Amino acid sequence: MLPLPSLPGPALLRVLIIEDDVEAAGHMAGDLAACGIATEIIHDGARALEPGQGDGPFDVLIVDRMLPGRDGLSLLKALRARGVETPALFLTAMGAVADRVAGLQGGGDDYVVKPIDAEELAARVQALARRRSRPGTPETTTLACADLELDRLQRKVRRGGQTIALLPLEYRLLEVLLLSRGQPVTRKMLLEQVWGFRFDPRTNIVETHISRLRAKLGEAGGAPLIHTIRGAGYVIQDA
Amino acid sequence: MRRAWRRTSVRVLTLQAVALVLAFAVAGALASLSIRQISERAYRADVRGEVASLNDEWRHKGVGHLPFTVAKRSRLWHGFEYGLAGPGGAYLAGDARLAGLTRQGWTREAAATGLALAYTEPLPGGGWLTVGRDLSAEQRQMRDLAALLALCGAAGVAICLATAYLTTRWTWRRLDELSATAALVAAGRLDVRAPVQRAAAPDEIDDLSLALNAMLDRISRLVGQLRRVTTDVAHDMRRPMTRLRQKLERLARAAQATPLLAEEVRRLDAEFMEILHTFDALLQLAEIEGAAAPDALIDLTEVAGRVAEALRPDIEDSGRRLEARMERATVRGDTDLVAQALANLLENALRHTPAGARIELTVEENGGAPKLVVRDDGPGIAPDLRDLALAPLGRLEASRSTPGSGLGLAIASSVATWHGARLELADAGPGLQVSIAFPAARR
Repeated sequence: MLPLPSLPGPALLRVLIIEDDVEAAGHMAGDLAACGIATEIIHDGARALEPGQGDGPFDVLIVDRMLPGRDGLSLLKALRARGVETPALFLTAMGAVADRVAGLQGGGDDYVVKPIDAEELAARVQALARRRSRPGTPETTTLACADLELDRLQRKVRRGGQTIALLPLEYRLLEVLLLSRGQPVTRKMLLEQVWGFRFDPRTNIVETHISRLRAKLGEAGGAPLIHTIRGAGYVIQDA
Repeated sequence: MRRAWRRTSVRVLTLQAVALVLAFAVAGALASLSIRQISERAYRADVRGEVASLNDEWRHKGVGHLPFTVAKRSRLWHGFEYGLAGPGGAYLAGDARLAGLTRQGWTREAAATGLALAYTEPLPGGGWLTVGRDLSAEQRQMRDLAALLALCGAAGVAICLATAYLTTRWTWRRLDELSATAALVAAGRLDVRAPVQRAAAPDEIDDLSLALNAMLDRISRLVGQLRRVTTDVAHDMRRPMTRLRQKLERLARAAQATPLLAEEVRRLDAEFMEILHTFDALLQLAEIEGAAAPDALIDLTEVAGRVAEALRPDIEDSGRRLEARMERATVRGDTDLVAQALANLLENALRHTPAGARIELTVEENGGAPKLVVRDDGPGIAPDLRDLALAPLGRLEASRSTPGSGLGLAIASSVATWHGARLELADAGPGLQVSIAFPAARR
């Protein structure tokens, strides 16, 4: 079991939690601190709009949708209208499809329904922060890890110069992992991004596909690249 | 038309109209009968008078003069017809038909000018005198009367229908609004309320609306409470459960040196995961049942293909076969929920069939009312146990030993209901066939 890797570099991630439930916010801050993420907490929607709050130097905003003062959705819309580009994660009990759509259209970058595991939250926060610190990532044409190379234009995967034939889902899985190289990606994130599933099937879909992918990458030789982080997910890294 | 006929008020109205027509018919018949009686009495008096006048005539001038008098009065026609026959019935004067009458008393006889009410009496020394009153005027009157009555009846029915329509249309519209409200609630909208015209002085429909609204208030309060409790439970339980799981993991690591203990911890962890899954599934079931109705058009083929390909490696690794046959089909719904329902059905088939089984997934376009079918050639479910299999936590004895929360089919069924679709279990002969029949798409 590997420890949860934090973002490389000296800068600690700073997250603003906008959540009216004092206890829940405290727990969340504790969970994130354990993963090396610094947090500040605001309990009121209206206060988040004051200067230096929602528009402060944060890497990620965690926003509850039901807040006193101002609801989370209109709060984020107001911040976006002011030009605040900080990635935002809705963390809410409002789990209906329409709620999710409204959240993502209203400027949210991720939408998670409570309850959420500490590892899940940390992984998602890190993924959002990384997306911001490396804005070119989605358009990068070549992804790599050690001697593994993924060409997004030709949809080809090579390891040590040897081409690896992958099924479309295996390719997508590898692509998602490589886009978060060095960062844990949880099962839920993989289910969402690779299969488009917002539920957790009983069958070990992710495990099965990961092991097939590992086997194919292993055939080309070299050290294993995809590592399991028990209780959290998977990470691809050269170690 | 058939929809209109189903309305109670339309039926009542039709019955009223029929009764009205019947009443007019009876009134008409009675009126014409009494008019006929009255005029007959008057006509008989007229005829008797004329007979008396003619009797005076022959007593005064002699029977021999009578043919001249009859001929003269016939010429100066004033509503009477005459007939005069000699002894033995020989024609003497007047209308030929009336002159042919040779029996004393009243008759109705068709004279040359039309139907007549005639009275015949014998003359001294043989011969018969008949005096008739023309009835054609009366017949015309009766026809006119019948026409008038029919017209009144028709106008009455028309007025009756028109006023009834005007008054009930309003009621219909309000009842339609009530039905629409109830339909929205049935579709999961607990925020709608029936319109009330005058809350201060409610009529019977307002009373109904108010009662319905009170019921809806109570239901939505209860559902709200339930949801809050569920969410709170989720919050409060999830955290200690997650912590417990982390402790188990740490324990498993610490126990690596003692394989027996490590195995025991792994079993504990697996059991605990089952609890977590059941817990999540219960929460989800509550969530689906409270969600608003679907409105997006989704590609059923794409979703089914995605789920099939996601599960294929697991199904194949377990020694079973998965065959997918898909036609292009779209439904109104939610991609995530359909994917979940289908995944549950496939996982069910995977769990409850022996190795080597064949699992078949089909999407049928079915003329715009698509159908999702998952069929296997496993042991199937006996017909009398199918309801139990669909109930939440309803696990069949045969599957008690296999893992699973007993919520997979219940969730699939609840997803189907949410889509206005029907989930049905059937015999695949051999095996189980689960089908989700979607309603025809609204365009």
